[in-house]
Amino acid sequence: MRLLIVEDDAPLASGLRRILEAEGHAVDVTGRGEEAVSAASHERFDLVILDIGLPQMDGFEVLRRFRAADKPMPVLVLTARDAVEDRVRGLDLGADDYMVKPFAMPELTARVRALLRRSQSHGGPRIVHGPLALDTVARRAYLKNEPLELAAREWAVLEVLLAKVEKIVSKEAIIQAVAGWGDDLSPNAIEVYVSRLRSKLEPAGIKIRTVRGFGYMLEEFKG
Amino acid sequence: MARSLRAHLLRLLLPPIAALLAVGAVVAYYPSMEPATEAYNQALVDIGIAIGSYVHTKDQSYAFDLPPAVEQVLRTDRYDTIYYRVLTPEGGTIAGEPDLPLAPDASGGSYDALFKGQRIHIVSVLAPCGVGECSILVAETNVKRARLTRDILFSSLMPQMVLAVATLVIVWFGVKRGLGPLARLSEEIKERSPRDLHPIDAAAAPEETRPLLAALNGLLEQVSEASRNQQRFLANAAHQLRTPLAGLQAHTELALSQPLPEPVRAQLDQVHQATIRTARLANQLLALARAEPGARGDPSHVNLKGVVEAEADAWVHQALARDVDLGFELEPAPVQGDAFLLREALANLVHNAIEYSTRGGRVTVRTGARDGNAFAEVEDDGPGIPLAERGRVLERFYRMPGTSGTGSGLGLAIVREIAAGHGAGIELGEGAGSKGCRVAITFPHA
Repeated sequence: MRLLIVEDDAPLASGLRRILEAEGHAVDVTGRGEEAVSAASHERFDLVILDIGLPQMDGFEVLRRFRAADKPMPVLVLTARDAVEDRVRGLDLGADDYMVKPFAMPELTARVRALLRRSQSHGGPRIVHGPLALDTVARRAYLKNEPLELAAREWAVLEVLLAKVEKIVSKEAIIQAVAGWGDDLSPNAIEVYVSRLRSKLEPAGIKIRTVRGFGYMLEEFKG
Repeated sequence: MARSLRAHLLRLLLPPIAALLAVGAVVAYYPSMEPATEAYNQALVDIGIAIGSYVHTKDQSYAFDLPPAVEQVLRTDRYDTIYYRVLTPEGGTIAGEPDLPLAPDASGGSYDALFKGQRIHIVSVLAPCGVGECSILVAETNVKRARLTRDILFSSLMPQMVLAVATLVIVWFGVKRGLGPLARLSEEIKERSPRDLHPIDAAAAPEETRPLLAALNGLLEQVSEASRNQQRFLANAAHQLRTPLAGLQAHTELALSQPLPEPVRAQLDQVHQATIRTARLANQLLALARAEPGARGDPSHVNLKGVVEAEADAWVHQALARDVDLGFELEPAPVQGDAFLLREALANLVHNAIEYSTRGGRVTVRTGARDGNAFAEVEDDGPGIPLAERGRVLERFYRMPGTSGTGSGLGLAIVREIAAGHGAGIELGEGAGSKGCRVAITFPHA
């Protein structure tokens, strides 16, 4: 994938570049907002990592211009400021994720993977997670290339979890996403669907973690 | 400047009021005194005329035969003793008191004199006798006149005295009443929290206090500007500190991901740990600075349940990294406060619980309300805090003896500071089954 890093701190920028290159991405780096805007207008990037505290044109302005120019690529905002208003402003301007410096590299690479996966599968007919593949048009699921039988609600719950791999999803959020059929769903019913999904997916190494009193998290598939 | 406004006003008012009183007395006394004494004199003249009618001329000599009954009637007076003296045109005294003083000059009329050691008032009346005129002096003591003087003075001064006293009383209470808005203002300022730097509303204050309020509001504006500057400085300091730390962490982790000789790896691991500790310490110091009065934002409605839900994902990942089972029991817990600081307080509690838990341990975050008081608490099943240490762990930079973790000793101090700023209390106790540690923050009624 082609990534653009917009960060004016040279040591951090070079560190990020090497880590993301090690992940197999092609990475461009600039320390100036104006350059980022012009680079994005000439070339296509799959993801931008954008620092807010840039000299002259700041990250908020860069983000605003990306979105004004209808650039669809996901933007991961980096900030040294943690004021809540900054976070809200970044997300309002169309940032896809938000990280406060300093951060652990595994967390950054995990978020980059999640953003890329989401944007690649966004609206696409096929969702892939390790050995699991969902064909959303034909509504067919495959596990290790074998057809997998999923009840309608199991499918719906799995889709919600797949949209947020490595993120915890509350039971309420699952109920809201699944209960489009006019009938009430209890948190207990969600537990039943998740336990059925587990018995089908765990043999293939796909894990759904329970977060006590909160909800579930589909773990990243580790070979 | 320590002078009382009230005493000052009274001191200013007293001399003119006293002067007015004196002038008023004089002005009222003389005009009312004159007709009154005139009437008394006329009574004496009448007596003189009556006495004169008893003087007869007979063979070139004068006779005066006042019957005793008449004399008694004429000389009867309720208050005063009446004297008389009848003089012939030649100047001989034919009746009455021969020692009654004559007029000091020839004009006669009415005059004051001393007689038998008493002050008296005398009028002289002329009565025809023969070819000449006899002169009759009629005198009375001053008792009636003195009473009259007293009565007139009293009746004219009394209303003025009442007026003067009323004026002083009105000034005394009027000043208190007039200064009432100032007193209310000082109450309002006294009750303000140190974090409230809003200008004082001048609309309700009296016109005269506006300059004072304007000056006060100017000062408040300067203080809050200074506080905003401090906020900007903190934000900049955070940026300046965090960005190089992020670079340091990136390169350390990058280096650690490569094959390294074991001693170098161990050293680099130390650098990595130190970097993470430094970053956390920087965050905590910033949080402490932001928790200071004056640096805080305006309180708003915050639901602790929502705060936890927003942070749950990050915390669960921290817990998973240490193989800790982080769970939640969340009920609505509405409070008034600063969302950033509340998040920071809860994050510190959760971080501590995860940090001091053993592998495979359980940490539970709860929010809700007990008896109408919103609360948030974090419970773990780790080693817990011995009773003797519970007071000290809330102090800044204090770490329990034998603690191995990477903590700075600031976490609970930050929680305490933030709780205090929200009027909330902290309770340190044991977890379920007398195991581990439970830290609860309980908020006052919203």
